[in-house]
Amino acid sequence: MAGILLSHTEKVYITHGVKNEYRSDGRSNIDYRPMELETDVVSHASGSARLRLANTDILVGVKTEIDVPKPDKPGLGKIEFFVDCSANATPEFEGRGGEQLANSISNIMLRAYQSAQAFNLKQLCIFEGKQCWKLYIDILILECGGNLCDAVSLAVKAALFNTRIPFVKAALMDGGNVDLQLSDDPFDSKWLDVGSAPLLVTLCRIGEKCVVDPTAEEESCSLVSLIVGVTGNPKYYNDYEDEEELPAFEAKCSVISMHGPGSVSPQNLRDAINQGIIAAVCLDEALGKTLFRERRDTEQFKRHSYGFLK
Amino acid sequence: MATLRVMDSFLMPGPDLLSSQGLRLDGRRPNELRRIRCKLGVFTQPDGSAYLEQGNTKVLAAVYGPHQASKSKSSTEAVVVNCQYSMATFSTGERKNRPRGDRKSLEMSLHLRQALTAAIKTELYPRSQIDIYIEVLQADGGAYCASVNAATLALVDAGVPLRAYVCACTASMAWHGGSPAPLLDVGHVEEAAGGVVLTVASLPSTGSIALLEMSHRLHSDYFENVLSRALQGCRDIEVILDKAVRDHLAEGWTKQDVVTV
Amino acid sequence: MPLDYKRFNGPEDSVSYKRFTADYLKSYDELHSELIDETGHRKDGRAMDEARPMYVRGNFVSQAKGSSYIEMRGTKVVCSVFDPREIVHQNEFSTVGLLFCEVKFAPFACKRQRQSHVPDSEEKALSVALRKAVGPTVCCQLFANFQIDIFVYIIESDGSCLAAAITAAGLALANAAVPMFDVVTASSVAIIGDKIFIDPTEDEEHLAMISPDTNTNHGVITMARLNGLMQIADFRQIGSLDIECILKVTDILEQECQKVFPKIQKTLVGYVKNGIMEQKRLSEEGKAREAKLKDKMLEWRSSIVNNSV
Repeated sequence: MAGILLSHTEKVYITHGVKNEYRSDGRSNIDYRPMELETDVVSHASGSARLRLANTDILVGVKTEIDVPKPDKPGLGKIEFFVDCSANATPEFEGRGGEQLANSISNIMLRAYQSAQAFNLKQLCIFEGKQCWKLYIDILILECGGNLCDAVSLAVKAALFNTRIPFVKAALMDGGNVDLQLSDDPFDSKWLDVGSAPLLVTLCRIGEKCVVDPTAEEESCSLVSLIVGVTGNPKYYNDYEDEEELPAFEAKCSVISMHGPGSVSPQNLRDAINQGIIAAVCLDEALGKTLFRERRDTEQFKRHSYGFLK
Repeated sequence: MATLRVMDSFLMPGPDLLSSQGLRLDGRRPNELRRIRCKLGVFTQPDGSAYLEQGNTKVLAAVYGPHQASKSKSSTEAVVVNCQYSMATFSTGERKNRPRGDRKSLEMSLHLRQALTAAIKTELYPRSQIDIYIEVLQADGGAYCASVNAATLALVDAGVPLRAYVCACTASMAWHGGSPAPLLDVGHVEEAAGGVVLTVASLPSTGSIALLEMSHRLHSDYFENVLSRALQGCRDIEVILDKAVRDHLAEGWTKQDVVTV
Repeated sequence: MPLDYKRFNGPEDSVSYKRFTADYLKSYDELHSELIDETGHRKDGRAMDEARPMYVRGNFVSQAKGSSYIEMRGTKVVCSVFDPREIVHQNEFSTVGLLFCEVKFAPFACKRQRQSHVPDSEEKALSVALRKAVGPTVCCQLFANFQIDIFVYIIESDGSCLAAAITAAGLALANAAVPMFDVVTASSVAIIGDKIFIDPTEDEEHLAMISPDTNTNHGVITMARLNGLMQIADFRQIGSLDIECILKVTDILEQECQKVFPKIQKTLVGYVKNGIMEQKRLSEEGKAREAKLKDKMLEWRSSIVNNSV
């Protein structure tokens, strides 16, 4: 992480605080810091979102392209994650300095989105075996203030929620090649179904306990962190008339991974996974409600666009 | 005169950039800038940062330093100005594969460095280095100008001593009713139409030019015309930037008071 | 991706003929039913909770400081570890030692597709995973600004490659006498619905990764464990699993890792014994040589004394 220098005493202070469920900014161990989220901030992208979690600033743009599906998965679309660590965040990222961090984040995102229960690639299919949509999810890290993975996963879900895919007006078969005609009207398009997209929760082991949403200072006190990806509840992302018709929802883990040079005891691991799922479910509900409210405001022309000017 | 007319049309191929009413493709008058909105101090970690939006072109700038220079770059005479220009992969209509490292962004980095070195009082910090990072979030023509203007604001925010504001502006050439009408602040559509684009970075209050670059062909008779239009644009931008800086400082004072109370 | 121009590469948009063979066109359900026979045994005759027999040995590569070979039927892995060496081309002094891991598949390792000579994304991901799993067990603070190279070569791959690679790397590190906190062993599990496949083969892993659209569990979990310290060094899950399943599998994996542990221990103890014997032999030989030398010396000295007299 970007040059945080802590003395031994400061580290002891943080560790003891966590032990007693007090953190230096007044949160408990499962609280998140306040976040700011805005969707539709980049007009050149099909969908975009900007998330600011304390000092962490993430901008995500989703671009769509027509591609040919893989021969062994003819009915599925494609998805690609690209993370760019901007040098704005820290001079260490200049040139290719941020590549390692970027790769590790894009890898874990890809793993989290791999299961069809997390994100169904069938909705990106246009013409089985011939044409499909390819989503380029470009993640730009503008500032690092700890807890990158969580912020990235939230911003990605928000950007996907904001993504519209144009309808296909006509398809011409021409000797085995498909020629598609897309609708020109930006409103003649469908929203992506992202209700079940996973959110990542980083649990930082400090002493014997785990904290959610660590600050950069807390991250430097911890040797190991656990990342848990939990699928979302579609209920919060759709406007269902009758909520009882919905199938029972159960949060599932789509990815678990450990980072850092330390190790954890089995009991710690179990507690951490449980804690992560609880945190993710709360987070998912809050995100879904926020996004839904924003979409409604946009439709009723009530929304102000702030971007970076706020 | 008639022969000259023929020459003009020969010199200026391509579509008409001005309508019969004398308005441009996006509805602006020839001497009108796009709307500039900006904010200083968007981020906390860099020493100075700024966001600037010029029409649909949106740019973020961050400044780190002055700090000790790395050994290979260090100079005993003056501060080393290190610039990196990078474009978000989703910033253009077609997706970019790489945010930086291609020829265009390297060239842009060099040009930025040239313009900003002219403005910074480099002799004050020997053996040091100032890093200026530009991130283009959305490119809609004139990304270089927006970058220079944003970098100026970020430098002011970082408290780096400057000789003067350095402002950049583009100008192009169009014809209205047979008479030359230079266009100020060229947008992406006008750029793509294939007209001449003159980019000027200048220090308006000292009246000096830091960088001058032109693409395509322009008859030397009209050069003066286009240049003066671009310089006028720089002066206009300086006023806007100055106002932004003053507003930011005034706001900053009140904010600080609240914190101390 | 750069192509291997020494071979005939076929047209760019060509598709392997295997895609149209009967095996390939099987549906998910067919594949699923094939995994288990009527008696509840797997394709290769194992019970669900039975790991493949494992063959372990060290000192496999003579040029390496430490090395190991692990074979679990169709999965064969070689690992070699080299002496710590100073990190070159680094701007900053690093206060802890670094590990460099590289996992490579042999060109003929996989059933599905031949691997090319450039590292692909799977190899890169495995390398990173290996580094994360082995990292906690090596005493990195003892060799500041030095790095240890760990190379894993997968000769044949039939599922549970990562687990085999981690176990092999742990053994090779110990074999190379790198200071370590503990022996690391790993094990993996594939989950399809309510069935848990311990030590899965390639087919089982493959099927666990693709999911039916229903709400069933599916996924692969690999765990690396420090057995003496009872700590978990790495835990990787992929797929979609509910919490009860994960907790259950965590217990199973712990036991599985524990089962592998004695084999590694035995091998290592064997090498230590051999080492001690060797040393004893060497020191005895040395002593004998020294005694001989002494005798010679006395002889020589007395001859000088005699001569001078």
